[in-house]
Amino acid sequence: MDRGECIMLEKEKLRKADFFSGLIILFFGVWIVRQAFKMPMKDSWGGVQNVWFVSPALFPLLVGFVIIILGGLLSRTAWKTVGREEIVKVIRWLLSKSNLEFLISAPTLRYYAIVTLFLSLVYLNVPRIDFFLASFLFLFVFITLFYFDDDRLLKKLFFFYLAGVGVLIFYFAAGIDSLLHKSIPYADDGLALLFILSYCFYARVGVQNNPILRKKYRTAIIITLATLIIVLPIFKYFLLVPMPTEGLVVNFLDKLWYLDF
Amino acid sequence: MSLLERIAFYFETVFHLASEPTNLLILFGSVILGIMFGAMPGLTSTLGVALLTSMTYGMGPATAMICLLAIYVGGTYGGSYASILINIPGTAASAATALDGYPLACKGEGGRAIGLTTTASAIGTVISMLFLVSISPVISYFALQFTSFEFFLLAFFGIIISGTLTSPDLVIKGWIAGFLGLFIACVGRDLLQFYPRFTFGFSEMDSGIEVVPVLIGAFGIPQIIQVLKNRLIIGEAQKFQKILPEFGTIIRNVPHIIRSALIGVGIGSVPGIGEDIAAWVSYGAAKNISKHPERFGKGEYTAVISTETANNACVGGAMIPLLNLGIPGSPPAAMLLGALMLHGVTPGPMITFEHPNFIIEVAAILLLASITMWVVGMLLAKQVVKVLQIPPALFMPIIGFLCIIGSYSLGLSVFNLYLMLPVGIISYFLTEMGYPIAPLVIGVILGPMADENLRRALMVSQGSFLPVFTRPVSLILFLIILWTIVSQFQFYKNFKDKLVAKVFRRKSRKPDLEPEKPVED
Repeated sequence: MDRGECIMLEKEKLRKADFFSGLIILFFGVWIVRQAFKMPMKDSWGGVQNVWFVSPALFPLLVGFVIIILGGLLSRTAWKTVGREEIVKVIRWLLSKSNLEFLISAPTLRYYAIVTLFLSLVYLNVPRIDFFLASFLFLFVFITLFYFDDDRLLKKLFFFYLAGVGVLIFYFAAGIDSLLHKSIPYADDGLALLFILSYCFYARVGVQNNPILRKKYRTAIIITLATLIIVLPIFKYFLLVPMPTEGLVVNFLDKLWYLDF
Repeated sequence: MSLLERIAFYFETVFHLASEPTNLLILFGSVILGIMFGAMPGLTSTLGVALLTSMTYGMGPATAMICLLAIYVGGTYGGSYASILINIPGTAASAATALDGYPLACKGEGGRAIGLTTTASAIGTVISMLFLVSISPVISYFALQFTSFEFFLLAFFGIIISGTLTSPDLVIKGWIAGFLGLFIACVGRDLLQFYPRFTFGFSEMDSGIEVVPVLIGAFGIPQIIQVLKNRLIIGEAQKFQKILPEFGTIIRNVPHIIRSALIGVGIGSVPGIGEDIAAWVSYGAAKNISKHPERFGKGEYTAVISTETANNACVGGAMIPLLNLGIPGSPPAAMLLGALMLHGVTPGPMITFEHPNFIIEVAAILLLASITMWVVGMLLAKQVVKVLQIPPALFMPIIGFLCIIGSYSLGLSVFNLYLMLPVGIISYFLTEMGYPIAPLVIGVILGPMADENLRRALMVSQGSFLPVFTRPVSLILFLIILWTIVSQFQFYKNFKDKLVAKVFRRKSRKPDLEPEKPVED
């Protein structure tokens, strides 16, 4: 990120955070060095007798040691700037209940929402659900959460989405998907479609009494569909990129594109 | 090739590229897209180049370069729209422009300011292109004399200088970011013995970490989280009328344009330092030289011309180390490096042998991109400004989706996404805590070069570091790195202050002592 765009914590808070981030970096450096020492240094690897300066460990060792030094220096600078008492106060705050206020504050909730959306898309939906449906769910939920610009609504919609993600995790983790595959085609995609429809309905009910939000709801649906209808065919049919998971909708699009009826 | 032949070939390339309708279409489309990316607060030219890279996968290297350089040039310039009209810098590169651009817009001179910045940006790009063409053969010649020690030190220098100059907080954080980038570059089988390092048994990581998805994650995800978490609110854009600048104003500002372009090229050619620093340095220089520094910050045309010329001149400047040494001069140039590698072009000293016309082609594209940018700026400014009214909550999710599909399509691997996301989330935390991302990215890119060359150099010298001190270029690089590091510490600053105080005390004593001299004689 560039200098001007960087939204930093206030200077003093930053120094307190530096103490801990410096320590984390220091320990990370120690881990790199430990891993590097497991690499062949002077022993034989693939029939080649090693010398220290050809060893694959040389560069990671250099990087690891420098990271240890820099992490230590950062922690030391922070310690000298804010002092022991302030660091102890931070540790007390981290262990206290007032820390909870920060963890459930509106900006933090927005952060959780964004990260959850990305995590669920990448690790849960993309490898298992039709890419069109997974993308629709991601885009529509993402837009509605933030475009409505209402923290109360964001919380409601986010928890609804979390519940849906929970159901999907249970469905895949319990192996129900492999059971249903034998009897129902596109069972996973069907469940995702159900999730999308129920989310759409829940969001619609949430904005029912507000004409501005109703308009935003319509815009969100149009933008989501327009993005997918433009972007996916470009990648799939012009750049010839096969989608990560091709199911209900992508197969239907294929049939349309190649007129395979 | 003689100089005349080179010039003739250059113009031939310009006409050849411009004569193909597809190229022109891509050029105009990419410049407009770049301007939109630059203009919309929260999006940057780096992100634009990153996302478009996946779209150029099926193109030839020349067409891909048209697309990517056009978006780079357009994105760098486009930031000025938001700076001037809504006082929110579209990109960090145009943050300095907002200081005087917005007061001008409030006075009803926004159109004139945009016209001047458009022209200044175009001239800045053209001047930087001239430097790229004229300096490249010289740098390439010298780079061919470099041995592994020089390349190792050069990579190291790139990380240290980028960490030093781009850190918004403590310099140590910039260096840490650079070394974290070097660690990421260590992942995968090492290039000399094919030993798997930090792969944790994942065969997908054997070939190392894919650079472009990492870059998309590092630049895209933190941007999305920051904008939406902090609820960036965009104000009403100021109205403007006439855009076309007066010829006289341009002529009067020629010295400022040339000075700023030189600053831009100079800063752009330093590894890893972006357009934002060029713009701020140019702003500072313009203010120092000005006869009316008090007017700066209140709506001074010289200020907006200086910042916009410098940040666009950075584009060509960043191409100089990128093409000749394989070291990116700025974060978008780092993306370009990744894109070039995708297209089978490996920048570095050998580029003049492997692709003899490539640098001239790049220069021709830069010229065409700057002309297109000027035309689009003059004709479509009022339409482009409309994108400023799109709320970030609508376009940021789309950017997130493009990050996902872009990372996946480069290599057709879902594993790319598994890497891109953690890198993005970690980058967000690093950004929040004042760590710059540019050195991390430079580290990822220069890591293999540093690793390979360090070991190769030590193989040749049988484990001796002595050649660092016996080879002049190595020694100079080593001393610069040492000075860059040492100069950041307090003991050095104390020592320097004491030394300066001592020297000045002696000087101030001298006039008192001098009259006594004859007496002594």
